[in-house]
Amino acid sequence: MSTDHVNTTRTGATDEPNGTTDASGTADTGDTTGASDLDGEDLVLGYSNAERPVIDGESIAAEPGAVTALVGPNGSGKSTLLKGLATQLAPEDGSVLVDGRDVHAMDTKSLARKLGLLSQESTSPNSITVEDLVYHGRYPHRGFFERTTEEDAHAVERAIELAGCGHLRQREVGSLSGGQKQLAWIAMVLAQNTDVLLLDEPTTFLDLHHQMEVMEIIETLRDESDVTVVVVLHDIEQAARLADRMVALKDGEIRARGAPEEIVTEDLLADVFRVDADVVQTENGPRVTPLRARHEE
Amino acid sequence: MSGGQSVVGEGAARRASDGRIGWLFDPKLITVALASVAVVVAGGLVQVSFGAYSMTVGEAWRAVLDPAVLLDPRWLLHFLVGEGLMRSLTGFQGELPELAHGTLIVWNIRLPRVFVAAIVGMNLGISGAIFQAVTRNELASPFILGVSSGAGLMILLTLVVFGGLSAFLPLIAALGGAVAFLIVYAIAWKNGTSPVRLVLAGVIVGTVFNSLQTGLFFFANDISVVQSAIQWTTGSLTSTDWEQVRMALPWTVVAVVLSLAGSRQLNLLLLGEQTAKSLGMSIEKVRFALSGVAVLAAAASIAVAGIVSFVGLIVPHVVRNLVGSDYKRVIVGCLFVGPALMVAADVGARLGMSVITGADAQIPVGIVTGLIGGPYFLYLMRKRQNMGEL
Repeated sequence: MSTDHVNTTRTGATDEPNGTTDASGTADTGDTTGASDLDGEDLVLGYSNAERPVIDGESIAAEPGAVTALVGPNGSGKSTLLKGLATQLAPEDGSVLVDGRDVHAMDTKSLARKLGLLSQESTSPNSITVEDLVYHGRYPHRGFFERTTEEDAHAVERAIELAGCGHLRQREVGSLSGGQKQLAWIAMVLAQNTDVLLLDEPTTFLDLHHQMEVMEIIETLRDESDVTVVVVLHDIEQAARLADRMVALKDGEIRARGAPEEIVTEDLLADVFRVDADVVQTENGPRVTPLRARHEE
Repeated sequence: MSGGQSVVGEGAARRASDGRIGWLFDPKLITVALASVAVVVAGGLVQVSFGAYSMTVGEAWRAVLDPAVLLDPRWLLHFLVGEGLMRSLTGFQGELPELAHGTLIVWNIRLPRVFVAAIVGMNLGISGAIFQAVTRNELASPFILGVSSGAGLMILLTLVVFGGLSAFLPLIAALGGAVAFLIVYAIAWKNGTSPVRLVLAGVIVGTVFNSLQTGLFFFANDISVVQSAIQWTTGSLTSTDWEQVRMALPWTVVAVVLSLAGSRQLNLLLLGEQTAKSLGMSIEKVRFALSGVAVLAAAASIAVAGIVSFVGLIVPHVVRNLVGSDYKRVIVGCLFVGPALMVAADVGARLGMSVITGADAQIPVGIVTGLIGGPYFLYLMRKRQNMGEL
C-alpha cells in the first residue's frame, strides 16, 4: 500500500521535470538516478567591503538526490557558501557546476529551472495571496509574453500540496504567521520545480510545529523525489536527523564532512561549536546535550 | 490521489478561464475604472462648458457630440494628426465644412486641454507606479531619479540663456529629464545597483541641478521669463492644444504597452532582489529597462505640461489601496485614476481663481495637484500605521 503510493508519486514527480528540462536542451547526466549534481570547486567567496574572503578556496559536492546539511557556528560562512552555490554571490575564484556545467555560463532562466533557492529573509507585498505567490515560482518556465499553462497549474498544485499550505491558498501573505509564511515561500520554491534546491536556515525563527512541518517537507523531497537538497541549519540535531551527509564549517573552512553519525561527535562539537556536550546515538539520530560553553585561554 | 486531481483540475480551470485578460474583470478594478471615467467625463464637461464664452451643459454636450465633427473623418484627422497629414491621408484638398461657433470653441480650444490632462495623468500614473516598484518604495515618484531636476534645469537654461531655442522647449525639457536619469544611473552603478543606491544618487543629482536651476532665476531679466519658467517647473496646461495631444500620444501608447508587458517583471521585483534573481530574472537589465519606460512616460508628460508634481506619487498609491498590489491591475488602474485626478485638478486650475476671486486668471495645475496631494498624504498618515511599505 505505502510502497505503491511512493511509486506513483515518484514517477509523477520525475516524469515532469525530465520532460521540461529535456525540452530545453539540457543534456542528461547519464546518472542512473537522474538526480542532479551540484559542485562548488575551489570557491573563494567574500563581500566587496571586507578585506579577506569569508570562504577561501573550499570545494563542496552535494550528493545527488540526497540532503546535504551545512552546519557551523554563527559567522562560520555557511550562509555565504550557500549564497555562492546559489550564484547570489559571484565567486572571486573557483566555479559552481550544475551537472558539470558552469552556472555563470548559463542563461539566468535556464539556471533557475535547475537550481532554486529559499533565502533566509523573503519580502513580499502584504496583499498578495499565497496562490499568486506560488505562481511566481513558475517565472523561469514562462516566456516573456506567455501566460500560465496547464503545466504551471499542475506544478503549483503539487507544490502547494507538498508544502501543506492548501488551506492558506486564498489568504493574503501579510495576514500569515511567520511559520505559515515560510510554508508559502517553500511552496513557491517547489513550484519552480528545480533539480537542485538550496535552503538557507528554513527552520530558524519558527515554532516547533512549523519546524517539524518544514523538516517533513524536506524528508518527503528526499524520499519521494530526485531533488538534490543543500540546507543550512542552525540546529545540529535537526541537521543530523534530516541529512544524508553533513558538512561542518568553522571560520570559513570546512572542518569535517560525512554521514551524520561521523560528524556529530563530542570532539567535533568541542572543536567547531566550542561547547562541551554529551552525544548519545539514538534511533532518531544522535542526541546532543550541551553542557557548557568552552572558553579558550 | 483523486482528491488531489480534482483540486488540480479546479485550479487549472480557474486560471485557464481567466485567460489572458480575465484578470481585468475584477469587480474592484472595474469599479475604479468606471468611477474614474465618470470623474473625467464630469470634469471634461465642466471644462468645455465654462470659460470666456459660456455655454449651458446641454449646449456643451451638443458641441462635443456634434455629428459635423464626429461623423467626419476629415475633421477628426485634422484634430488628431494635424492638417497636413490629414490632407495627405485622405487626399482631400478643398476647404473643410464650416462648424458651428460653439463646436469650434469646444473642439479647437477646450477639448484638447482635457485630452492633454488625461494623457499627462496616465503617463504620470504609470511612471510613478513603475518607479515605486523599481525602488521598492511606496513614496517614490516619477521624478525620484532626477528627471524633474534635469528637466527643470534645461527649462531655465533655455528660457534664460538660450532664448532662441524656446520653440524646442518641450523636447529640450524631456531630453534634460532623460539625461539626468542616465547620470543618476551612472552614479549609482557599481557592479550593479540597488534601490537605495539609485534613490541616493537621485537625491544627489536633484540637489545639484535644483541649485543650478534656482541660481539661474537670478539671471532672468524679465518677469515674463520668470513666470513662464514657473509655469513650466510647476506644471501647467494653459493654452495646450491639439499639437500637445499629437506630441504626447504616440509616446504614451508606447509607454502604456511596455508597462503592461512589464507588469509581471514588476510583480517579481516586489518580491525582493534575491528572490527575483533566484527565479532567473536578469535583474539589472529589467530594472534599467523598466526605469527607461517610466522615464519615457514622465518625459512625455513633461514635454506637454511641464513638471506636474504629486500626481505620479498619489495615483499609484490610491490605486494600490483600491485594487491590491498586483501590478497588472495597478497599471491598468493608473490608466484610469491618473486622468481622473489630472482632469479634476485642471478644472480647479483653470476655473478656480475666477470662482474664488472673480479674476479671470489661471494658475498652474501643478499648484492644484500639490494642494490635493498634501492633504491626501496627511490623511494616509493619520489612518495608517505603516507608510512607505509596498
